[in-house]
Amino acid sequence: MKISLRKVLLSAAALSLATVLGLQTTVAQDVTPIDIGVAVAQTSNVALLGQEQVIGAQLAEQFFNDRGGVNGRPIRIILQDTAGDEAGAINAFQTLISANVVGIVGPTLSQQAFSADPLAEQAGVPVLAPSNTARGIPQIGEFIARVSAPVAVVAPNAVDAALEIDPAITTVGVFYAQNDAFATSETGTFQETVTARGLTLLPVQTFQTTDTDFSAQITNILPSNPQLVIVSGLAADGGNLIKQLRELGYQGLIIGGNGLNTANVFPVCQALCDGIIIAQAYSYNADTEINRAFVEAYTALQSKNPPQFSAQAFTGVQVFVEALIRLDNVIPLENLDLAQQRALLNNFILTGLYDTPLGTISFTREGEIIQSTYYVAQIDMADDGQSGAFTFIR
Amino acid sequence: MLAQQLANGLAIGSVYVIFALGYTLIFSVLGIINFAHGAIFTLGAYFTFMLMGQQFGFNGLLAQTKLPFGLPFWVAMFVSAILSGLVGVVLERIIFRPLRARKADPLLTLVSSLGLAVAMVNIIQYLVGAETYSYPSGVALPGAPAAVNFGSPEAPIIIRTSQIIIIVVSFIILIALTLFINNTKTGRALRAVAEDATTSSLMGVNTDRLIRLTFFLSGFVGGIAGTLVGLNVGITGPYLGIAFGLKGLAVIVLGGLGSVPGAVVGGLVIGLAEALVPSSLVSYRDAVAFAILFIVLLIRPQGLLGRRLIQKV
Repeated sequence: MKISLRKVLLSAAALSLATVLGLQTTVAQDVTPIDIGVAVAQTSNVALLGQEQVIGAQLAEQFFNDRGGVNGRPIRIILQDTAGDEAGAINAFQTLISANVVGIVGPTLSQQAFSADPLAEQAGVPVLAPSNTARGIPQIGEFIARVSAPVAVVAPNAVDAALEIDPAITTVGVFYAQNDAFATSETGTFQETVTARGLTLLPVQTFQTTDTDFSAQITNILPSNPQLVIVSGLAADGGNLIKQLRELGYQGLIIGGNGLNTANVFPVCQALCDGIIIAQAYSYNADTEINRAFVEAYTALQSKNPPQFSAQAFTGVQVFVEALIRLDNVIPLENLDLAQQRALLNNFILTGLYDTPLGTISFTREGEIIQSTYYVAQIDMADDGQSGAFTFIR
Repeated sequence: MLAQQLANGLAIGSVYVIFALGYTLIFSVLGIINFAHGAIFTLGAYFTFMLMGQQFGFNGLLAQTKLPFGLPFWVAMFVSAILSGLVGVVLERIIFRPLRARKADPLLTLVSSLGLAVAMVNIIQYLVGAETYSYPSGVALPGAPAAVNFGSPEAPIIIRTSQIIIIVVSFIILIALTLFINNTKTGRALRAVAEDATTSSLMGVNTDRLIRLTFFLSGFVGGIAGTLVGLNVGITGPYLGIAFGLKGLAVIVLGGLGSVPGAVVGGLVIGLAEALVPSSLVSYRDAVAFAILFIVLLIRPQGLLGRRLIQKV
């Protein structure tokens, strides 16, 4: 009987293929990663803020997978770039939702959140905002929560710190970016605080986040000799404004809003960034076990102390992981389809208590963060203007 | 207060002037609007940044790279201007010359230049990312104060030093260009080509070489402009030049298409108008500039300093 070589080869191939596939399915069931979407700005000027969030999220992925992930299953961060505008955020969210992520950490700007979050709300995907601090974010929907404390709570601390440094402050100038939702919200809080402390508020100056020349606004208020100036904008425009403010001769104190809260503002204003006061929702000095571990892991990777935006992104991923663990302990995730996972995860997120680098946090029913400790830092630039650090003063 | 606002207007206006000067050169000789000028402007800023030995940021193909040497600012700016001029010549060769050879509609050339501008800007973004870069502070005039007060301590008229540099350089370029076009043989040949290219070549003028020269000059001036604006407000991303491009169009149309002094007048008028907009209406600044353009064109279609074109039957 002649044995056909062709038939032998074909059967061998079919057998090996079946084995490999069979092995794969067996192996796959044990370690399919759980996908968590991270939609932050990796390009455009908003990347000055988003870059720190990417680092924080990737660090969290490594950190929690090293500690066993979700009851043995690793998590996987799926990054999508939102760029700097609403359209980019919408695209990023859409892609992540279709990629079957169990939840999303993002977007970077409140301005983007008001456009992109409703998509997640409609699709029933839980969103944890790592840096949206404007008024009204958690109220967007049931699935929207945030780990970034709102401006209403954080901003006044900076004003009080400034008054501690210079109790003789009487006149205050305020600048804000009127085309950005976060800046508009933050300046409202700053202006209320200034008035509540009995200080004189000069006519409020507005600009656009896309502006590059601020001479007109600055020369409008300089003749009135303010002792304190408060800037609510984003990193590139805010940095430029402060640089021009100093160049035109202003020598008093400057408070920067959360949009300037990044070392990426140093190249913009360089030596002139020195002394800017910025309220913080996070301190690398906080002495808790999780924060010490986080700081250690971060400094090993980046050779410097972790900034607020990284800590908040890390916390966002942490909340997802811990809520997933609690959910898995009650109902194993394999027994739930994606829609059920997302819906139940949302409930578990809102009802948890978390020990994070930001401190012990929990959420209100609406998704607002409940955080107890806030700080204030001041930028300390080296003489050459090339490097600097945030020093905590409060 | 008004004096300060006028000073601001002068400063803002001279940025537009320095941008429009290169823009208007090409129009005056070739009759085409070159939108790619905005991209060359941006390139000039980035070239200087790179030639100074500065390091790029965390995005793009060239992330974290820097040249092994660093030139002083003014040298870097000069070299960058030459490179920008060469880019202009390359663009002329690969885009504008084929269109001219085919006697293409000016509108087609305009649209091609716009497409070119967007492509170049995106290439820049792909190479070095879209974040803000700044030149090291005090690099242009080491030791100089950051701003100069031309008034008194009670009634200050303060202009920042980087803006003063732009004002001074733009006037130097204006004078140099005017002297060149009016008083040199090449300048006269340029004017001949501008008047009528065919007749000029019949008279023995090498029109192709002169057109290349025009593009080189335009790119050279554009490169200087980009560097100085980058010095003033930082390189706020690859789209820096595109924003100026649109405003620059308004400037040269307002001043009179093809007129070099017209570009200056147009730039200063728009700069002044923007400085006088109250700060609560700052988001309507652009609207003011274009509204002025609209009104002037209704009353005087050839622009402020343009020549009225009389159709001879």
